[in-house]
Amino acid sequence: MKEFAMENGLDRRDFLKLLGVSAAAPMASCASKPVETIIPYVIQPEEITPGVATYYATVCQECPAGCGMLVRTREGRAVKVEGNPSHPVNRGALCARGQASLQGLYNPDRIRQPLQRNEAGDFVPISWAEAETLLVKQLHRVREEGKADTISFVSGQLPDSVYSLVTKWLAALGSHHQVTYEPFGYEALRKAGQLCFSQSSIPTYDIAKARFLVSFGADFLETWLSPVGYAKAFGQMHSAANAQAAKQAGRFVQVEPRLSLTGANADEWLAIKPGREAFLALGMARLIVEDGPAASISVQEKEQLATLLKPYTPEHVAELTEISVETIRRLAREFTSQSPSLAIGGGVAASSREETATLIAVHLLNYVAGNIGRTVHFHSPSSPTSQTNSYSALLALIEEMERGEVPLLFLANTNPAFSLPPSAGFADALEKVSFVVSFSSFLDETTEHAHLVLPDHTPLESWGDVRPAAGVYGLLQPVMQPVFETQALGDTLLSVAAQVDGQFSESLSWKSFFEYLQASWQELYGKRGETTTFETFWQQSLQNGGVWENAEDTSVQLSSAVFDIVFSKPQFDGSGEDALTFIAYPSSRYFDGRGANKPWLQELPDPMTQAVWDSWLEIHPETAARLGIAEGDRLSVTSPHGTVEAAAYFYDGLRRDSVAMPIGQGHTSYGRYAQGQGANPVNLLAAQPEKASGSFSWLSTTVQLTRTGKRAPLVTTDGSRQQLGRGIAQVTDEHTEHPESHTEEHSVEHAVYDMYPALKYDTYRWGMSIDLAACIGCGACVTACYAENNIPVVGKDAVAQGREMSWLRIERYFEDSSVVDPSVEDSSGEERAPETRFAPMLCQHCGNAPCEPVCPVYATYHNPEGLNAQIYNRCVGTRYCANNCPYKVRRFNWVEADWPQPLHLQLNPDVTIREPGVMEKCTFCVQRIQEGKDHAKDEDRLVPRW
Amino acid sequence: MRFPLQALPPFRIILLFIVVPAALSATLYQPDVSGGVWREGKAAWWDVKLLDWGLTGWGHAPRQPIAFSHKLHAGDYSLDCLYCHSAARVSPSAHVPPVQMCMGCHKKKTENLEIQKIQAYWKNQEPIPWIRVHTLPAFTRFNHKRHVRAGVECQSCHGAVQKMQRVEQVSSLKMGWCITCHEENQVSRDCLICHY
Repeated sequence: MKEFAMENGLDRRDFLKLLGVSAAAPMASCASKPVETIIPYVIQPEEITPGVATYYATVCQECPAGCGMLVRTREGRAVKVEGNPSHPVNRGALCARGQASLQGLYNPDRIRQPLQRNEAGDFVPISWAEAETLLVKQLHRVREEGKADTISFVSGQLPDSVYSLVTKWLAALGSHHQVTYEPFGYEALRKAGQLCFSQSSIPTYDIAKARFLVSFGADFLETWLSPVGYAKAFGQMHSAANAQAAKQAGRFVQVEPRLSLTGANADEWLAIKPGREAFLALGMARLIVEDGPAASISVQEKEQLATLLKPYTPEHVAELTEISVETIRRLAREFTSQSPSLAIGGGVAASSREETATLIAVHLLNYVAGNIGRTVHFHSPSSPTSQTNSYSALLALIEEMERGEVPLLFLANTNPAFSLPPSAGFADALEKVSFVVSFSSFLDETTEHAHLVLPDHTPLESWGDVRPAAGVYGLLQPVMQPVFETQALGDTLLSVAAQVDGQFSESLSWKSFFEYLQASWQELYGKRGETTTFETFWQQSLQNGGVWENAEDTSVQLSSAVFDIVFSKPQFDGSGEDALTFIAYPSSRYFDGRGANKPWLQELPDPMTQAVWDSWLEIHPETAARLGIAEGDRLSVTSPHGTVEAAAYFYDGLRRDSVAMPIGQGHTSYGRYAQGQGANPVNLLAAQPEKASGSFSWLSTTVQLTRTGKRAPLVTTDGSRQQLGRGIAQVTDEHTEHPESHTEEHSVEHAVYDMYPALKYDTYRWGMSIDLAACIGCGACVTACYAENNIPVVGKDAVAQGREMSWLRIERYFEDSSVVDPSVEDSSGEERAPETRFAPMLCQHCGNAPCEPVCPVYATYHNPEGLNAQIYNRCVGTRYCANNCPYKVRRFNWVEADWPQPLHLQLNPDVTIREPGVMEKCTFCVQRIQEGKDHAKDEDRLVPRW
Repeated sequence: MRFPLQALPPFRIILLFIVVPAALSATLYQPDVSGGVWREGKAAWWDVKLLDWGLTGWGHAPRQPIAFSHKLHAGDYSLDCLYCHSAARVSPSAHVPPVQMCMGCHKKKTENLEIQKIQAYWKNQEPIPWIRVHTLPAFTRFNHKRHVRAGVECQSCHGAVQKMQRVEQVSSLKMGWCITCHEENQVSRDCLICHY
């Protein structure tokens, strides 16, 4: 025994000791439970029950459309945003940008407290009291210098009350230098209305009512005016349900050189020569006037119109636009026969140097077809972006700044250093301003130049009101306490005014911005002649998200000024043999670039290219072949105004003489998610404004392409652009036209064979129906799914490895472009769009799902209510199920999900956060199903059958 | 070499080597896949027996920042549980009452040190950092409202709280334990009821 133990260098006693220790170790770890605390409220707010969601109505501020939102909050933090069903603008829908507004609120790169720039150029955090004192000192300085009248305030569109308070505040200082600039500002649309009908307001278009819609470059499903509202209306006009009611769905023709998402949803896409839309509208108008225009037009007016339109014969127009004579005639015919029709225009991608003239031509087309007052409505001046000055007003201010005449500049909700071309000189001019104050909540390209940053709340933390359309008064309310030490812009202004001197604060007697807002709603209350008290009116407005009333049409007359308009071809900068027209198009994800700091939007695949995180240059394959460019080649894109680099992406939906690039990427700052992603196409554009309206011309240059020799293939989520005969996204004829063919095909009875026993369901069998005919492929549902289900964002490299985590995706397939609408005689030989099909793809919750029997641990199974369940705590990560899934909707957690603080505050507490090594997938939002069943049980009933 | 028979331990050593490790592993073994619908009804014996006898939370009775006595409030004074934990009736979460609620009764000046603590929290407008006694894993949902409304006594899971000076965990809160009750009452045993 001694020998044995000695040989092993361990005696029996030691061995037993070791055994004791190894047994005690797990015991010890078992005994010490992690200490978790429960922190109750000190005083529980009346409206909060822990564990139960509270909803607040507010208004989306991600673009000027002003959609109503309902924000779901749990224990005092916003976790999900929904459309407000009772809001007249969006009627319950919400786009991806609106969904992602939460990631603005919880953005980890937000400015957390006031910042002052020191002499070394670094920002130093200071307290609010210090910051305000600093600003007060500057105001005293400017007053002593006697330059108070040139204090300037540049902003994007602000909530109306904030805007009017700023106006009053500046006026109290003796200045009127307030410039509002929106990169997508519709100045030309206002100017065209002014010249045509003496109405400078933006009209409302009744797309839902139109039987035939022609859009001259307006991307109304993506960014144009009110994309959610118009998408909803388009769905109504174009739907199968409408088709049944009205015998045939409305037809929609998109006229644009680059196939946008809007164009992909059109029945017909006409690849017009860039910037020549006016001539097509005029050509159509001429044919309509010849055939006999709308009855409302007087004989004299008809003669004048005929003279104006005389040069635009179909042949001449065909030559100018490269659209065939037959097509022009057909469009004109349809425009009058399918009444009421509607023509719209003014999209960013089509805003050439003749944009105002183009929009006048569109107005004329509507006028001769008698659409004004039927599908085109003018209202009182209250309409979207009514605060917007023109781009040229900003240019004038830049000149003043350049001359050193601006002693103090305020910036709010705007980023001109990013959204203006460098040749506009904004960044340089900023350096000439002795003191720049920014109210931005993010350190963007413009705020970087500020001397003092006084971070404003994000919209979800703010009070305010928005009047996005005639008769719509939306109300913003804070849905939660501010995340950081920020202060409402209005409160900062009032607080500073009180500190400057008595004279200044006298005219601004409100204690807080909230009081000011209520005072302005008192006015509205008085005007409406409500029978309730103001308090009730206010509470009701807060609950509903605002008040709405019917807006009355303003009847309009054609102004004689219109007959003096000269329609000419737009000029493009740059020339040369290989010069290609450069189309900078607005991104449905980033808008003008303000969405780029939200990881959900970066990871949402672009609807047409399915690319994530990057930017790219779209080029027609034939053009690329001519220039010797391969897909994925990194190109240097050069215009007379600058150079950017981007990878080539082959795109069939583009004219051969053009290239296109999305707007919104290429940030040099603006947080970790935006910075260094892609390129900014604005750097290629000219700074001169459009002459007639002073707007920015996005379609103004041509470019030369050179290969850099590098390759940078785009990261896309589509495996293939074609379906390759797999029949994933199938289409059928309109039922109304051929009802018999369907019954024949499907009436044959055949037996169903199955290896598995038939499934039985007791009370419920859940399903989800998606109207594929109505789906426009925008991707709002994808972002909503990320928000609801705590889906992690994995980044570009992981997506390149096929590791994106989206439970729901929109698959986009291009069909053979030789397949065209059979109702259109195709003898023209003009460019045709590839047919685009969108297929939302999510777990189908198959009856006998192939993923279920292969799971060795029973983590996935068919539940008694027809859901294909995935139990995360049971999953061991074999990934057999994903291998076996025919729809490829199962996602594996390769890495630990990362939500940099405070992004984690958005996480839905009703959904488990998955660990690395487990599979996850669509649950049909089982947490919502449970909630619905819970409510039903409370009322002792079943969830009603849909 | 002859196997050193004399090196074999006596019976006591066999006990230490074999029986103790076996017993330890049997009790410490916490199977992730215990219970569940696939075993057609019966939860594993170790779920019901061994784990419920302790070792996984039984006797977990942390010292709280205030020595609040449930025995006094719920027992001697017979306050209804839902008087303070009112959310249990309307929310998935049972909810610990806000300090304000304690102050509803304990406003008066007192020599009781524990009550003075509450008053100090109230004076400073600070919440009381109670130590959690009953913890469910993050991947599990439990809806208090449904159980309370179905007439399940609070004591069925939390034990005779009205007799406890300091609250302690008396149920294992293991899945097998949940399933046993769901089986007895013939309610759903679908995984998705609790795991999503």
